[in-house]
Amino acid sequence: MSDFRGLRFAALAAKIAALETGGRAAAGALPFGDAGLDDHLPGGGLPLGRWHEVTGAGLEAETSAAPAAFAALMAAPLARRGQAVWVLRRDDLWAPGLAGLGFPPERLIQVCARDEAETLMVMEDALATVGVCAVLGEVEGVDLTAGRRLQLACEKRGGTGFVIRRRPFGGSARKEATGSVAATRWRVGPAPSEPPAGEFGLGAPRWRVELERCRGGRTGAWILEAAKAYSWEAGDVAHPLRLVARLGDRELAPAQPAQRRAA
Amino acid sequence: MRRLAAVSREAAALGLRPGQKATDAMALVPGLVTAEAEPEADARALTALIDWCVRYSPAVAADAPDGLFLDITGVSHLWGGEDAMLDDLRGRLSAGGLPFRLAIADTPGAAWALAHFGRDGTIAPPGGQAEFLKPLPPEALRLDPQAAAQIGRLGLRRLEQIIALPRAPLARRFGAATLERLDQALGRSREALTFRRPPTPWVARLAFVEPISTPDDMARVTQDVTAKLCARLEAGGHGARSFEVAFHRVDGKALPLTVGLSLAGRDARRIARLFEPRLETIDPGFGIECVTIAAYAVEPVSGRQGRIDADLSTAVEDGLAPLVDRLVNRLGPERVWRAGPAESHVPELAVDRAPALGAPPPEAAPWDREAPRPIRLFRRPEPVEDVTALLPDDPPLQFRWRGRLHRVRRAEGPERVAEEWWKRDVEDVSVAHVRDYYRVEDADGVRFWLFRAGLYGASEAPPKWWLHGLFG
Repeated sequence: MSDFRGLRFAALAAKIAALETGGRAAAGALPFGDAGLDDHLPGGGLPLGRWHEVTGAGLEAETSAAPAAFAALMAAPLARRGQAVWVLRRDDLWAPGLAGLGFPPERLIQVCARDEAETLMVMEDALATVGVCAVLGEVEGVDLTAGRRLQLACEKRGGTGFVIRRRPFGGSARKEATGSVAATRWRVGPAPSEPPAGEFGLGAPRWRVELERCRGGRTGAWILEAAKAYSWEAGDVAHPLRLVARLGDRELAPAQPAQRRAA
Repeated sequence: MRRLAAVSREAAALGLRPGQKATDAMALVPGLVTAEAEPEADARALTALIDWCVRYSPAVAADAPDGLFLDITGVSHLWGGEDAMLDDLRGRLSAGGLPFRLAIADTPGAAWALAHFGRDGTIAPPGGQAEFLKPLPPEALRLDPQAAAQIGRLGLRRLEQIIALPRAPLARRFGAATLERLDQALGRSREALTFRRPPTPWVARLAFVEPISTPDDMARVTQDVTAKLCARLEAGGHGARSFEVAFHRVDGKALPLTVGLSLAGRDARRIARLFEPRLETIDPGFGIECVTIAAYAVEPVSGRQGRIDADLSTAVEDGLAPLVDRLVNRLGPERVWRAGPAESHVPELAVDRAPALGAPPPEAAPWDREAPRPIRLFRRPEPVEDVTALLPDDPPLQFRWRGRLHRVRRAEGPERVAEEWWKRDVEDVSVAHVRDYYRVEDADGVRFWLFRAGLYGASEAPPKWWLHGLFG
């Protein structure tokens, strides 16, 4: 009986997925390589051929260092397959830092756009290009129309988009867009690092990552670490992000919303 | 002292000439109307005229202050011969209300001589310029004033007398420059002209019976003229990296548009599409009567056979090179780049921006991945206040940035980065330019890249602390 239900359920899920992708074959998923995280995502990994939203909390909404580092590491395995495009508003992205984390900077084309609309336009254009596997863009907000257009561009060639929500310096906070077409939404903040026992200094960079929204998956919160960061093997791992710890599962404890760091 | 810079035809008939003192001229012709000379405006007008002349030939050279050379080698047949071309040019210049004199000859020197001192509109047949030059005065050789005066003193009034002189005494008496000018005029030695832009044989033009002005028409003629040139490029096995379309308006203005490609190409549809979004910046005025296109940076490009299932494979327009071209032409070349290593320890100099496509691989060694470097580097380091740090070179214990106090939990450093003293004067080198970088993490886990400029105890002023970047 339960088997039968399971089969029915799987068939229905596949049907819905086919409707959502407009009949095209899904572009697959990129597993993080840890069941604790992949189980929350549809298809057992980060859905490809979709776009994802990465936001920062507090100070990071402006400086956007942790969200950028996290998005770069999510996109790094894709960038190794083809080309990546990073659309900036202010060009403070620094390639040596990307190289140290394990993102291949020689595969990255950086584009500095003049305004928000231009950023989205360049992202769309790049996503619809053969050979571009990942497109990262720094945008203040994506409304429903722009999100839908990004999604169509993703579906055209199976490219994966990463929208890094970033507020311009000195700009006032805009109302957060409520509805969104993004496949996932991540909120990323820095987390204290733990150097290996007996060593001093800083450990590998760590982030506190909350999966706030996930189509066809479950939300969750984790502490992730950049594997082999700042070493010569930085790029030679299956996935540059490693799960360190799992934070409270919000589905199990809905009464107590996950504590958001104030910094 | 005020002198006449130029005179009109009527004034010349009254005996006035350029170089005359203004007071003398006023005495000769009491009712003389003068205007201030504007050499800059003249130069601008000459540049505009040169741009306009591109409709006849891409090789146009200025002959300041008031002339220009047009290299019509191989293009006169487009008008049906040299005399027809001269008539066309004459008609258009007259319509513009410009006084002018024209001449065609084998060499720039002979053409200059005939235009300035010969009959207006002279066409010297190939190899026959000597006959036409003979009756002209020696000044027609573009001599320097000293040599001209010397020739005048010796009673040489016509060029045939000079041509008849033996060469060695001629050079000895009037200088080698005079002989050189004579040889250049007669075609015995070459003369280099400085063209407005490097001449390219890759040009095409379309002229219209009726002037066009609608945006649709402009888009269509851009496609047509691009296709015309690209067909020639393809036949020759070439591609180009830069294309310039010029729209020639009825009123004599030429409006150029340039696009660049990151890889040499000759796909007419793709190139025309790059022009399309910028066509709206062209003001057609009363209409456009002619459009020209020129290709620059032409290089051999091997052809590729289309696959039999070409419809199934991806279109070329969707590839990376066209994307980069679109972005570069829309945003500007400085806004699209690929970061490459540069040999420098100074952080802000360690990144070299290369073009997104087609750049040679960098020669510099790749960045040291073992040295932790921030993902965000501020263009200008931001000052931090209230820094508490142990002397002389311990990492800070706390600091204030953007009004918030950060307590440091873990720290690494210092990593000393000295200035590039070998690049500047020895006197400018100072310990105040030494930077000690620290990687610190505050209680929340935010990782900062701080540096201290200068050393404690090196000078009276205490060293300052700066925030240069943020690790993710």
